[in-house]
Amino acid sequence: MNQFAFESKQKIFLLGAMGLGVVCMVLTFLVDDPLHTRFWSNFLHNSVFFTGIAFVSLFVLAAFTTAYSGWHTLVKRIWETYSLFLIPGLILMGVIILGIWGHFHHLYHWADPAAVAEDEILQGKSAFLNKNWYTIGTVVILGIWAYFAWRMHRISVQEDLQGTSDFSHHRRYRYWSAAFLPVGAFTSAALIWQWVMSIDAHWYSTLFAWYATASWFVAAMALTILTVIFLKALGYMEEVSTNHLHDLGKYAFAFSIFWTYLWFSQYMLIWYGNVGEETIYFRERLDHYPTMFYGNLILNFVAPFFILMRNDTKRKFGTMVLTSIILLLGHWWDFFLMIKPGVYHTAQEVLGHGAHGGGETGHDAAGHAASTFHAGFTMPGLLELGTFIGFLALFLYFVFNRLEKVSLIPPNDPYLAESKHHTVWPY
Amino acid sequence: MSAPVSAIRDPLIEGGKTYHDITEDICSPTEKTPNLAWIIAFIISASALAFYVFCVAWTVWQGIGSWNLNRTINWGWDITNFVWWVGIGHAGTLISAILLLFRQKWRTGVNRAAEAMTIFAVMCAGQFPLIHMGRLWLAFFIFPYPNTRGPLWVNFNSPLLWDVFAISTYFTVSLLFWYTGLVPDLATVRDRARGLRKKIYNFVSFGWTGAAKHWQRWESLSLVLAGLATPLVLSVHTIVSFDFATSVIPGWHTTIFPPYFVAGAIFSGFAMVQTLMVITRKVLNLQEYITLEHIESMNKVILLTGTMVGVAYLTELFIAWYSGYIYEQFAFYNRVLGPYYWSYIGMMSCNVLSPQIFWFRKMRRSIFVTFIMSIFVNIGMWFERFVIISSTLARDYLPTSWSYYTPTWVEIGLFIGTLGLFFTLYLVFTRLAPVVAVAEVKSILKTAGDQYVGNGAQAQAGTVEQKEVH
Amino acid sequence: MQKEVLYGLYDDEEVLLKAISRARESHMNIMDVFTPFPVHGLEHAMGLSESRLHISGFVYGAIGALTAFLFMTWVFTRDWPIIFGGKPYWSVPAFIPITFEVTVLFAAVGMVVTFYTICGMWPGVKPAVLDERITDDKFCLAFDATHSTEEERSAMEGFLSSSGASEVHTKNV
Repeated sequence: MNQFAFESKQKIFLLGAMGLGVVCMVLTFLVDDPLHTRFWSNFLHNSVFFTGIAFVSLFVLAAFTTAYSGWHTLVKRIWETYSLFLIPGLILMGVIILGIWGHFHHLYHWADPAAVAEDEILQGKSAFLNKNWYTIGTVVILGIWAYFAWRMHRISVQEDLQGTSDFSHHRRYRYWSAAFLPVGAFTSAALIWQWVMSIDAHWYSTLFAWYATASWFVAAMALTILTVIFLKALGYMEEVSTNHLHDLGKYAFAFSIFWTYLWFSQYMLIWYGNVGEETIYFRERLDHYPTMFYGNLILNFVAPFFILMRNDTKRKFGTMVLTSIILLLGHWWDFFLMIKPGVYHTAQEVLGHGAHGGGETGHDAAGHAASTFHAGFTMPGLLELGTFIGFLALFLYFVFNRLEKVSLIPPNDPYLAESKHHTVWPY
Repeated sequence: MSAPVSAIRDPLIEGGKTYHDITEDICSPTEKTPNLAWIIAFIISASALAFYVFCVAWTVWQGIGSWNLNRTINWGWDITNFVWWVGIGHAGTLISAILLLFRQKWRTGVNRAAEAMTIFAVMCAGQFPLIHMGRLWLAFFIFPYPNTRGPLWVNFNSPLLWDVFAISTYFTVSLLFWYTGLVPDLATVRDRARGLRKKIYNFVSFGWTGAAKHWQRWESLSLVLAGLATPLVLSVHTIVSFDFATSVIPGWHTTIFPPYFVAGAIFSGFAMVQTLMVITRKVLNLQEYITLEHIESMNKVILLTGTMVGVAYLTELFIAWYSGYIYEQFAFYNRVLGPYYWSYIGMMSCNVLSPQIFWFRKMRRSIFVTFIMSIFVNIGMWFERFVIISSTLARDYLPTSWSYYTPTWVEIGLFIGTLGLFFTLYLVFTRLAPVVAVAEVKSILKTAGDQYVGNGAQAQAGTVEQKEVH
Repeated sequence: MQKEVLYGLYDDEEVLLKAISRARESHMNIMDVFTPFPVHGLEHAMGLSESRLHISGFVYGAIGALTAFLFMTWVFTRDWPIIFGGKPYWSVPAFIPITFEVTVLFAAVGMVVTFYTICGMWPGVKPAVLDERITDDKFCLAFDATHSTEEERSAMEGFLSSSGASEVHTKNV
């Protein structure tokens, strides 16, 4: 079956999951502190996470096309539709932007004029960290990405309908792919700095953008594997074999290692340099978020490393589903850890209690641990999980809705035959 | 049986080769007396190598004082050259390991020579830390061995010691990987040879027969070694970058160093591969195996990694400003506009701007442009290391110790000398072993030979059928 | 002990693969197959079991990792503890690079040594080369004919030439 049909029971299920997400968000809003920090940080967390997955899908597509990769043709439609989520992503981030302008939230320390007025470091950064740049950067860059996604998707669909033997569509697709690589590489860093790194407004790390992108990458691979297996379970994509699964698994494995490498490089250098301005980032997380901190490594390094190292596990559907769920949640967890501590800190300052009651001095470390559990911050709670499920359902609803409108397998892609006969050899 | 190949792909082996042609074309250079070009090149390289030995002797005899290092700038050309050579030594393993995992078939044409180049480059790199010790004969102190001093162990927390482990592991693993790949091809040379040559090649080919089980294990081994070499190659330049980044010197202490050094290493490594390949394919008449397609692919990698390095340069500049840390800001101000501004210009123009011409297919496929660009990139990457090392050290926290550094003839001689070492080894290699992986090229013939794929496939199909019949 | 080997040389790997499948269908006992390059699908056609070399690699790597990490731990916490840069004696992040390098070193060296040992390949080994063109462009299918009767021999020869071998020879190795 090359034509996906988005059945109504699936729609109802996904709409139900979205409903659950909405309920959770409303509940979060109600039980929240006066600034609704938990609600807004959840919103930001999930918006960044899923928009990032869409971006990485486009980037992967562009990279594979430029590198003459053939094997991925059977699954390329999934990435094409994923990348279209950049358009809803723009809307989601637009809500955050509205929140900044309307002072609905205090996610960003630098967005508070009173805080900036008495903070020299923030003043120094204000040429970049300000509402205008945040808005322009997000809208323009996401807009450009979404345009590329839409454009490449359109060429691909045209190829389905009027593909010719001179592969002119594919060549055009390749031009757009090649053009997107530098565009994506340069601009993604700016967005990650604005969206995530600027939450800890005093802190900086040159590696941060690459690190966050690696996290998105693994998450995108995990979600791809889940979608492929889901579609196969429904009887679609019969030609996607364990060989394709194996290769997707290799990417998930390789980039899990790569993520760990970047994680270690960033952590070790800051640990080794021992400069207070830098170590505070990890000090905060180690002191108040130890479960999250070590859990992050277990979920995103130890688990995939030992599960995916063997070849046969990458070829089993059950194992791959399990691993992909671990990885998807794991990188969501990773973004949680990037976002929440800084947001909490900012909110506490605005609310007038110094964050963690002077935890930085560490004089009351023993009695501290018991008193520092903050629902929705120290650990993702049920409401966070519900919100995540809601966003995931939104993502999937959008993707399946788009997937329904095109052929699941691009019939005129020049690499289709290669992809159909793809074998991972030698194993 | 062979998997279908998309009609959009261009062939990687030209000239309608048969298996026997491949053996003949690639092995024959090892069986002939060298031509005049080779002899001249060898004399020049060997002279440079001799000069190297002289400079090392001079350094050891006179002491490190014969270099222009001073208290402020205590790392100069030596470490610049070290990092430069290590960087060059990355392309081989990248081509053979990462491209093997990414299933890029074009790697088969260039992996052998690139790996050889890797090993020679690492050998050159290893010279500099050793010479810089001054007392070369105490070099074994860097290894953790039980000793009479306590035992006072080496400092396992020092990035310089990590380097010892990284470089020696990398050298060992690259050598094993390369040699294991070479064994079947040495057997091919053995089976063509007679007399003493046969005995010698029999010795070095370890009694390879080509048995099915051996091939199976050989492939399993290659794949796992590739899997090990991939993180290894990343780790080596990462650890080299740790030499700088674990310090708290502004301009060095930055977290992007590890991946940025790795990208730069791949970049310079590919440039050196291009330099060598453009000449090798011409001199050894291997244009049908190292085709324009190969050169174009490598130019794309150069464009990609050059741009990645560019992203890192701009990131560093931006974050230096963003940090709000005046020393960091000054370090980068100084890098761009300080006394070594000329090396910054050299770095930016050679590494980031000039590779952009590879956006044009015509440029990517021009041998002349490729060769010139490869030299440019080699120079640019040397400048990059010089910028990082000297421009940072020249302006430290204390203005009274600000300084400027120019090398002495000994330091320049050591650099030129290692080029001599490198090219001497490479030239010897081209005489002794097949410079293209014979067995691996044969294994892709039916999916990448021009009689099977690409535009010429239909035209030649008839003749191929005839060949197979008899 | 000398073996008498009856073998056929094929010009194309696809013909060879078909011959192997036929030989296995008719329960002929293949001694070995020699090829100039790794042939896609050969191990499957011959029914070779999967190589376990990579498992040995994992074991060597694990030994390397433990050796390096425990050794550094012992040196810096027991044998000669030194404080440097205000860091703890047991500074795990600083041990990771060397642990990694030694892991890779052990795995790689161990696997290569294992490979050459189990393949019986070392410098100076005199190989039983059936035909010098095997490392060039011939694909060889070999039967052990040491204890075969005349009938069996002619059956083997007949099989080889009928399955597309361009040459059939006998050799004592």
